[in-house]
Amino acid sequence: SGTSPVPPRTPPRSCCPLTALSAGHGRLVLGGWLAGALPGHCQDLLPSESHVLLLRGTALEAWARGARLCQGPSWQQQLHPGEAARPLPLAPCGYMIPRPPFLCPLPPALRAQKLVLGLEHVVLLGQDGTIYTWGCGRWVHGQLGHGGLEPALEPRLVEALHGVPMGDVAAGGWHSVSVSEGGDLYVWGWNESGQLALPSKALAEKRAPATASVSQHEEPSLGAEAADFISIQAFPALLDLPEGSEVSKVSCGSRHTAAVTRKSRGLGKYGQLGHNDTASSDQPRQVGYFPANGLTVEDVVCGPWNTYVGAVEK
Amino acid sequence: MSRPSSPEGLATSSCPTADQVSAGNTVWVDIRALLPNTKEDLKLDFSEKVEESVISLLQQARDLLYGAESLCSGSARETCLQVSEIIIDYSWEKLNIGTWRDVEKDWRRVYSYGCLFKALCMCSEQGTIADTIRVCDMGLLMGASILDNILVRIINVLQKHLTYGKRSAEEDAKESQRKKIRNDHTTVPSIKSEEVIPRLHCPSLEHFRENYMIPQKPVILEGIVDHWPCMKKWSLDYLRQIAGCRTVPVEVGSRYTDEEWSQTLMMVNDFIDQYIVNKNSIGYLAQHQLFDQIPELKQDICIPDYCSLGEGEEDSITINAWFGPEGTISPLHQDPQQNFLVQVIGRKYIRLYSPQESENLYPHETQILHNTSQVDVEDPNLVKFPKFERAAFQACILTPGQVLFIPVKYWHYVRSLDVSFSVSFWWL
Repeated sequence: SGTSPVPPRTPPRSCCPLTALSAGHGRLVLGGWLAGALPGHCQDLLPSESHVLLLRGTALEAWARGARLCQGPSWQQQLHPGEAARPLPLAPCGYMIPRPPFLCPLPPALRAQKLVLGLEHVVLLGQDGTIYTWGCGRWVHGQLGHGGLEPALEPRLVEALHGVPMGDVAAGGWHSVSVSEGGDLYVWGWNESGQLALPSKALAEKRAPATASVSQHEEPSLGAEAADFISIQAFPALLDLPEGSEVSKVSCGSRHTAAVTRKSRGLGKYGQLGHNDTASSDQPRQVGYFPANGLTVEDVVCGPWNTYVGAVEK
Repeated sequence: MSRPSSPEGLATSSCPTADQVSAGNTVWVDIRALLPNTKEDLKLDFSEKVEESVISLLQQARDLLYGAESLCSGSARETCLQVSEIIIDYSWEKLNIGTWRDVEKDWRRVYSYGCLFKALCMCSEQGTIADTIRVCDMGLLMGASILDNILVRIINVLQKHLTYGKRSAEEDAKESQRKKIRNDHTTVPSIKSEEVIPRLHCPSLEHFRENYMIPQKPVILEGIVDHWPCMKKWSLDYLRQIAGCRTVPVEVGSRYTDEEWSQTLMMVNDFIDQYIVNKNSIGYLAQHQLFDQIPELKQDICIPDYCSLGEGEEDSITINAWFGPEGTISPLHQDPQQNFLVQVIGRKYIRLYSPQESENLYPHETQILHNTSQVDVEDPNLVKFPKFERAAFQACILTPGQVLFIPVKYWHYVRSLDVSFSVSFWWL
C-alpha cells in the first residue's frame, strides 16, 4: 500500500489532500481533491493545504488552492537572472512557506543544501553537513533538538550533532530526523505515535489487552513501567537499526518516518507504513513487499499520511 | 461515497437486523432521541478555515448516520466509524499546531463532531459504553461545544445504562473504600505567629473589599462554604459513582518543573486506584475544568459571593478542580487572576509571597515557566538563590471548609498533606 504505480521523474510532493508529481518538462500530475490545473513552465512545486508554491520560469509563486489560472498567483517574486534554482522550499536568500509572507529571509552566512518544513519548525542542512533548526510554536515537542522545550526564533545550530557531518534531513509534523554521511540515523522530537522508533507509552497502552466489560477500572494498571517510555526526545538520539543497516534516504510524514534501506516506522493507522496493517508501530520494521517482489528501493517520500517509494526491478 | 438523503430520518427500534439485540438497542433509542430529527437539522456550518474535503467527510458521516440503513447495517457503521476516525485524526493534528489559544475554534468543533460520530457508531453496538464515554470525553476535553452540548447529554444517557449492571459491585467496593482520608504520619510544617494569614468568619462584602481586595492582602475566609453540598457529599466513593468512568487529564510526577513530569489522560476510577488508594508514584488531577465537563458535580458547589466584587461577568470565572494524594506540590508560582482556593477534602500547606518579593524568588528565565520560581521553597538552595532567605512570606494549613483569598500575581506554593480536593475560582 502507498506505493505509486509509476516512478515519477522527481520525487512526489504531497500534502493532505493533494498530491503533485512533477512529470518533467514543466508538466504536472495532480491527484487528490484538487482537480485543477496549474500553469506551465513549472520546475518545482510544494503543495500545502492552502497554497501551492511554485518555481516557474524565473519566478517564485504562491497559488491559492482552487484559484483559477486566469486569476494568477496570489504572490509572486521574480528571480534575478542567474540566481540558482534550488529545490523548494529553498529560495535564493531565503525559504518559502505556504502562507503569507511566503518568502522568509535566511542569514547569508547559512549556506543551505537542503531545507525542510515541519508543521511548526524548520530544519536546515548546511553545505558543510551541519544542522540548524528553529520554530515559532510556543510548545515545542523537542523537534528542534536543542534539549529544551523553548522555541527558537532564529536558526540555531543543533550542537549535539556538531562534528557529525549529515547527508540528509527530514521533518515530520512534530519530529525531525537526519542521516549522517556514514549512514547513521538520528531522531528527535515528539514520539506520540512511535514516529521516532522509540518506546511509546500510548502504543503500549493500545497493545495491552482491552477487556470488553464495562468494569474498566479493574484492569491491571500500566503506570509502573511509565519511566521506560519516551514521549519527547529533546536531543537527537542515534537509532540502532536491525542488523546495523545503513540509511541512505529518509522521509517523514506527519506522524511517521520512512527510511531507505527499507525500514519504516510510526503511525500506521491508514496503512502508511506498508506493513499490510493499520497498526502504529514504535519499532523499525522492514517493508516486506519490495524484496518479495524482486524490487530494489531507490527513494522514499512521505506525505502526511502516506508513503511513496521509488523502486526498480532487480 | 455520500448517500442519497433519506426522508425517514433516523431509524429507531424498527431496526431490522439481527445483531441489534435489546440492550444495545435501548441505549441507541435513548441516544437517538438527543439527535436532531432530520439530517437537514444537523447543520455542518464551518468557516472557510476548514477545508472542503473535511466538510465533505463530515457530511459523509452524517449521511451514513441518517441514511436509509442508519447504523443498523454493519457496513454502514464500519464506514461511518472509519470516516469519523479520519476526521478525528486530521483535526487532532490541527489542534496540536501552535498554542492552544491560537487554535481555530472551528477545528475544535470539527474534532467534537468526529468524536460525536464515532461515539454514535459505537453506541449503536453493545458492550462498549465505557469506551463510548471515553470518546465523548475526548471531544469535551479537546473539542468545542457542539449541538447544544450534545456530548455531555450523550454521556448522561450512557452513564444511566452503565450504572444498572454495576450497582452491586459498586456497593461492595464501598466497604473496602472506607479508608481514613486523613494522614497522621505527615510532618506538618510549623507556622510562626508573624507568618500567619489572618482568618475571618463570613465578613461582609464591603469589609472584604476595603480591607483585603483593594489593598491586595491574603485572607482565609471561614463559614462561607459550609452549606455547599460538596462539603458533606464528596468522598472517593461519590467521585467514583459520579465520575468513575470519565476521562480526565492527570499530571504525573511530583511537580510540573521536574524533568520526568508528564501529562496523561485517564479515567477517574483508574486515577483513584493508581494514585489515591495505591501510592506508588504521584499523580495529580490538577487545574482541570472538571465542572464544565461534569455538570452534575457543579451542582455541589457555588460561586463565592465575593467574586461579584470583580469587574468580570460570572461566566468569565474559571473554576478548576485539584484532586490528588498526599504529597502533590505546586511549585512557587503566580497567576494573572484573583483566586479563591476552596478546600473540600484534606489539608494543604500553602506559602504566599507578595509580588514585591519577585526579585528574591528567582523566576525561571524561560518563556514557558516565567511565572514560576526556581526555588524549592521547603528545601531552598541558598548558595544558588541567596536572596530567597530575605523574602518575607505568609503561610497556612488550609483545612476543609476554609477559603484562601490569593490576590492577583501573589506567589503561592502548595503541598498537600492528605488526600486532597480543592476547588479554585479565578476571577478579576
